[in-house]
Amino acid sequence: MRVKRAISGWLVLLVVLHATVIFAGFFSPYDPAEQDRKNPYLPPMRVHFVDARGRFHARPFVYSLRLHEGTFDQYEEDTSRPLPLKFLVRGASYHLLGLLPARLHLFGVQDERIYLLGSDSYGRDQLSRFLYGGQVSLLAGLLGAGVTLLVGLCVGAVAGYFGGWRDDLLMRLAELFLALPWLYLLFALRAFLPLAVSPLQAFYLIIAVLGAVGWARPARLVRGVVLSAKERDFVRAARGFGATDAYLLRRHILPEASSVLLTQAAILVPQFVLAEMTLSFLGLGVPEPVPSWGSLLSSLQQYSVLASYWWMYLPALIMLPFFLGYLGLGGELQQRREPYKIGKEPGGLR
Amino acid sequence: MGSILEVRDLRVAYGPRGRGAFRALDGVSFCLESEEVLGVLGESGSGKSTLATSILGLFRANTIVATGAVLFEGSDLLQAKPDELQRIRGKRISLIFQEPSMALHPTMRVGRQVQQVLAAHGMKGRSALNQKTREVLETVFMEETERIARSYPHQLSGGQRQRVLIAQAIACGPSLVIADEPTASLDPTTQMEILGVFRALRKRLGLGMIFITHNPALLAGMADRLLVLYAGRVAELGPAEEVLASPKHPYTRSLLESIPPLLDGPRDGNKKKLPSIPGDSRPSSLPGAGCPFEPRCPERMDICKTRDPQLVNVSQSHTVSCFRYENQ
Repeated sequence: MRVKRAISGWLVLLVVLHATVIFAGFFSPYDPAEQDRKNPYLPPMRVHFVDARGRFHARPFVYSLRLHEGTFDQYEEDTSRPLPLKFLVRGASYHLLGLLPARLHLFGVQDERIYLLGSDSYGRDQLSRFLYGGQVSLLAGLLGAGVTLLVGLCVGAVAGYFGGWRDDLLMRLAELFLALPWLYLLFALRAFLPLAVSPLQAFYLIIAVLGAVGWARPARLVRGVVLSAKERDFVRAARGFGATDAYLLRRHILPEASSVLLTQAAILVPQFVLAEMTLSFLGLGVPEPVPSWGSLLSSLQQYSVLASYWWMYLPALIMLPFFLGYLGLGGELQQRREPYKIGKEPGGLR
Repeated sequence: MGSILEVRDLRVAYGPRGRGAFRALDGVSFCLESEEVLGVLGESGSGKSTLATSILGLFRANTIVATGAVLFEGSDLLQAKPDELQRIRGKRISLIFQEPSMALHPTMRVGRQVQQVLAAHGMKGRSALNQKTREVLETVFMEETERIARSYPHQLSGGQRQRVLIAQAIACGPSLVIADEPTASLDPTTQMEILGVFRALRKRLGLGMIFITHNPALLAGMADRLLVLYAGRVAELGPAEEVLASPKHPYTRSLLESIPPLLDGPRDGNKKKLPSIPGDSRPSSLPGAGCPFEPRCPERMDICKTRDPQLVNVSQSHTVSCFRYENQ
């Protein structure tokens, strides 16, 4: 029972985090591409309850920022102008889930703009860009993992179940793909394609490449499970009663691979998100102005940004709970699959 | 009475190719008349289970050769295409595996597992399937059919699981049922119950059966004929009563002497040690040439070391592979 509760804990964390990304339009105050050229590299605004004169306000507020005199990149809080936070305000229009037109935002301020995570070189809100970027990056990770697992499942099932030359061929191929340096393969692939591709094309390309490179490991895992499952007595018995190959695979053999696949999925998703980020960081991912987590961090390639604007790191920090959630879930799934191997749970073989 | 199954010179080997291969079946031939029960007797490793699975072409992954012929209703099952075999398995010939706890899918209700056999052989329509499943289960269970059909294998006793397997086996009305040690993992009381089920079914459905066991006591009153396997070869084949009453092969004789005597005899205080057959039949202790039983045989002769014995008729329907009977 304890294991089950732990799984739901990680799941709840992931569901909450993903909800903020899925409903990015609602949770982010602005459109991710909306520029504010007057305010580049604005540091994050602090949320206050107590104003400069020591008075407590029930409604949280921020101070607008102004340039420190005599500098060009040092900002300070303008304590004369508190900007009270308004909740459920109407603002920039967006489409909820890509379908429903809406204007409602969780929070905002009147007249001025609020930057809780600071702004980038064009004065775009980093928080909005993070949430919208998560849609691209997490979807790439999930779809990439899905494609990978699907291909891995099919290849592993065929190799393990039918065996013989099919097994040899597919497994040698898998070893070849395991040995490929995927980043350079990606560079080569990208070099073949025209320089300017639309964001959607770039997105599909990333998923295709991620899937094409990653299938080998799950395929080998599934093959192992299938090899042991097909020799089980009840599988042999079912065959003895006239079960077809398709039935045996579907009802008797592949269900045993499901826990392996789930665990793999939980491990693969963050890997693929990171892969997408690597691509976008190098400028091979989804092009501007569509944000993704990789392109959010790509401004850190410039030394001046790295040295002067520490808040440009913040997105990387906020990504951590996402990855930890997936890895924690993967660990729990693994433990549920093989409780006695980890040996923490009662009833283990020790 | 025509023969429904004829096995001719069946040879099956496992393991690495070449010299290390283990010959599980080494030239087994026999015939089965329709509605006849053939008891197959042999110790562990004698090839009993291999015989059961080979008839249906269910070879393990490490099977390297299978030669000979398994003629069922005129066609050779060893040469049959996979989809032809699939149509025969479960419908014309059923196999009951030895471990009822292992042979059922652990996460599927047993009623559904019986139903799947019917569905695999083309029966369609939910109500027809449900109806037929209930009928089949009612032939093997006296009561509580509904509850059992809705249970998972782990909720049933060993005897009940075995009955479910039998229900699966007879669901499509096969003409031949192969039972591979169907009572091995059951306690003696349940064994007798299951034997009773087999007897009743045989009478009702007119099944041909191959009943495989290592316990000769189970075959008395059950089998019409008896096949004794040793190291993958036929040691003796004949009418059950004749073989049990006057065994001819030294191996059969030693085997039958190793059964505990019935309790109704005079029980004197000094217990006699039960005779056993010295040695074992592991592949490493089998001789390279000659009769495979020669090292353990109480009646061995010089010729046994060098030449393979051939099957000899001792009466019209009773054959033995032993040199002692060759000159009679």
